[in-house]
Order: sequence, then structure tokens, then C-alpha cells
Amino acid sequence: MSSINQIPVINAKRGNPLSKVFDELVRFCRSRSLFILHYCTGCGAIELPPAMTSRFDMERLGIQPMVSPRQADILLITGYVSIKTLKRVILTYEQMGSPKYVIGICSCTVNGGMYWQSYATAKKLDEYMPVDLYIAGCMPRPEAVIAGLQQLMDRIHSGEANSWEDYFRNYDYYLGNQQKLFGDHWQTPTDIITEAKHYNLMGEGTLGEHTRLLEQHQKPLEALDMRLGHNLKEPTK
Amino acid sequence: MSQEIAHWLDNLLEEIEGIEIRRKSSRRVRVDVPADALPALLELLQGRAGYIHLSAISCVDWIDDEEFELVYHVWSYENHSLVSAHISIAREPGVYLSVYDLYQPAAFFERDIHEMYGIHFEGSPNMDKFILTEWDGPLPMRKEFDSEAYINEHLSWQEYNPPWLQALIAEGGGVVIPPEEQRFSRKKN
Repeated sequence: MSSINQIPVINAKRGNPLSKVFDELVRFCRSRSLFILHYCTGCGAIELPPAMTSRFDMERLGIQPMVSPRQADILLITGYVSIKTLKRVILTYEQMGSPKYVIGICSCTVNGGMYWQSYATAKKLDEYMPVDLYIAGCMPRPEAVIAGLQQLMDRIHSGEANSWEDYFRNYDYYLGNQQKLFGDHWQTPTDIITEAKHYNLMGEGTLGEHTRLLEQHQKPLEALDMRLGHNLKEPTK
Repeated sequence: MSQEIAHWLDNLLEEIEGIEIRRKSSRRVRVDVPADALPALLELLQGRAGYIHLSAISCVDWIDDEEFELVYHVWSYENHSLVSAHISIAREPGVYLSVYDLYQPAAFFERDIHEMYGIHFEGSPNMDKFILTEWDGPLPMRKEFDSEAYINEHLSWQEYNPPWLQALIAEGGGVVIPPEEQRFSRKKN
């Protein structure tokens, strides 16, 4: 044993009993401090003010509204998502920090709801982003919203609510559905594939034909020119 | 008072030839005008009768008659009454005059009708996309646009058929799906 390379390394996972305790603690804390992104689509959002405020009081469960996507944990889709809105929802979802959870409220996120015949609304939300929980109803009352949030808390606590990993592991599937709806040139500012590599979340479905198509069209992102007034009228070169 | 105004308005409208007046109520008049007389009528209503507010322009697609019906709703704050002026224009090529010079809000209504029905308004300041900025499909409000076929082609559904729903359907209840012949998009085929 003259060289360091010759020292045998045991790759088996260390059975530290405390690690599970720590995970348990992390999940417990995580499930009791949830921030809902203040982003409302459609009409179901009208049930959120009573759910948040003193009558039903979501805050006793540790759930609060949050103004920016990068600080939020839960993306509530409260109703129909028009195709224009869906683009913004996806941009928002991709900017949220992991772990992140998506809840689809109202019938419209399940199957289009009363807008099932409309050309302008997306029908299945879980084609475009992984959905943890659906709260059906048109629209669900605050009790139902809170019951759904409690179910999500239980799922986070038990470690089942990890569908956000699915977005990285099956990115090709989600991107394919997005491209089908928005066209082949669809590109978001967030580079999901690099993030998946970075966080070691590459799965079998991360790369595929749709991500290859994305790489063909992908334009490098440029920083926004933040000067005031100069380039508002002419397009930037 | 309102009777008097109604009478006075009827006298005024009779100044234009070839129009048909149907009084719906003391505050509501439907006027059917030939398409080329509409600007004159609106000018008269605005200038002499105080109908200064263009509430809306609505459009109806009468696909079987090969024409579009445009309805100009003008409201008078003095008389508290609404005049709806109906005209019909040929579906092809679907061109009409803008009333932007009389009523500036018409720009929005005309732009909206342009993107939904494809009617071109000559003289309207802006005929760009308004709401459907990210839409490059067919004109969505025209009757020949089959919304159902479009969504079946572009979007998909999730199955939901739980046992309780099956039991309801077995009893004759459940979700009622209208017969095919009631649907407009199926009528043609």
C-alpha cells in the first residue's frame, strides 16, 4: 500500500442511524413551512382569500402566500390555464427552487372543465409539469383547499411528494408536450438539462428526441439591458 | 319624458332613407341599415342626438347566408337610451369601413373583430393582433372553425371513469353528452 489509490474504498452506504432521523426532521420542518406562490389563473383563485384569511386561516398550518417564485414552494394552479398563460406558468415553475410542489385546483386543470371545448385552454396540466395533487371541484371550497393542502403536507412528511424530481427525470416527455403546443422553437430561460446534471437528477427520460430538437434551436440567453429609456423603442441588436 | 324622447328619436331616424326601425322598448331601438348608410347614421346620432358612447361592436357570423352581421351599439347619456344599428356585409372578402373617425374606441372593437373573424376595417388605425398574440391557427370565431376537432388534434384528455360514475350511468344518469347532430361542428358533415 504505497499509493493512495490502492486503499480500498467501500462504496456501500453507511448505515448511520442518525441520517434517517435527520431526514425525518427535515421533512417534518419542510411540511410545516410552505409558501404558496401568489400566482392565480382562472376563477378558483377567488376561494384563496377566505382560505388565507381569518375565517379558514391557512396560516395555522404554516402555509403562507409568497410573492416571488424563487422563494415559493407551492405553485397553485387555480383554474383554467390558457395556452398563453401556460407558457408563463412553465417559466414560473422552472424558476422555483426545489423541492417544489404543484397543486391543480378546479376541474379545469384536470380535464379542461367547462372550457373543454375551447381552443385556447390547455386541458391536462400534468402533461406540461408534474402535478402533486388535484383538488377537483368547480370551484372547491376553502375547506377542500385546506384538506388538499393537509394531504400535501402528509405526503411531504412521508416523503412521497417528490414529483418535482420527475420533471428532471422525464424532461423529454414534458418538453415534448410543450413543443407540441407552443411550436418547435419553444425555449425557456431555465436550462433544465444542466440543472438535472448539476443536481444529479438525470434519468432515462431526461434526454430524448425533444431535447435534441431544443438543442438545435436553443439560443444562448443574454442578460437584459437595464439602461433606462435608451433602447425602449429600437429593438436590441 | 321618455315617450317624448322616443318620439323625437323616431322622427330623427326617419330622416335617413332605407332603414328599418324596430322599437324594442322606450329605451332601446333596433335599426337595420344598409351597410353604406351606417356612417351617416352614426354621424347623425352622435352629432344631433347625443349618442356619444359606442358601447360595443358585435359581430355575428351567418355562415349559411354568406354574410357577417355587425351591430353598433351606441348609448346616449342624455336620453338614457341605446340604439343598436345592424348592418350586414358580405362574408367574402369581409371588408368594411372603420368608424374610428367618429368613435375612437372603435379601434379596439375593430381590432378584436379583425383577429377573431378576419374582417378588415379600412381606416382603422391598427389591425395587429390584440389578444391572440401567440395564436397562428385559423380565425377562431368563424363558424367554420371546428374547435372540437382542433382540440382533439392538439390536446388530449385524461380518462376518469370510477365505479361510482359507472353505477350512475347504469341507472341512466351521469354526464350527458349531446347528440352529434346538435353540435354545430358536426352539422356540416
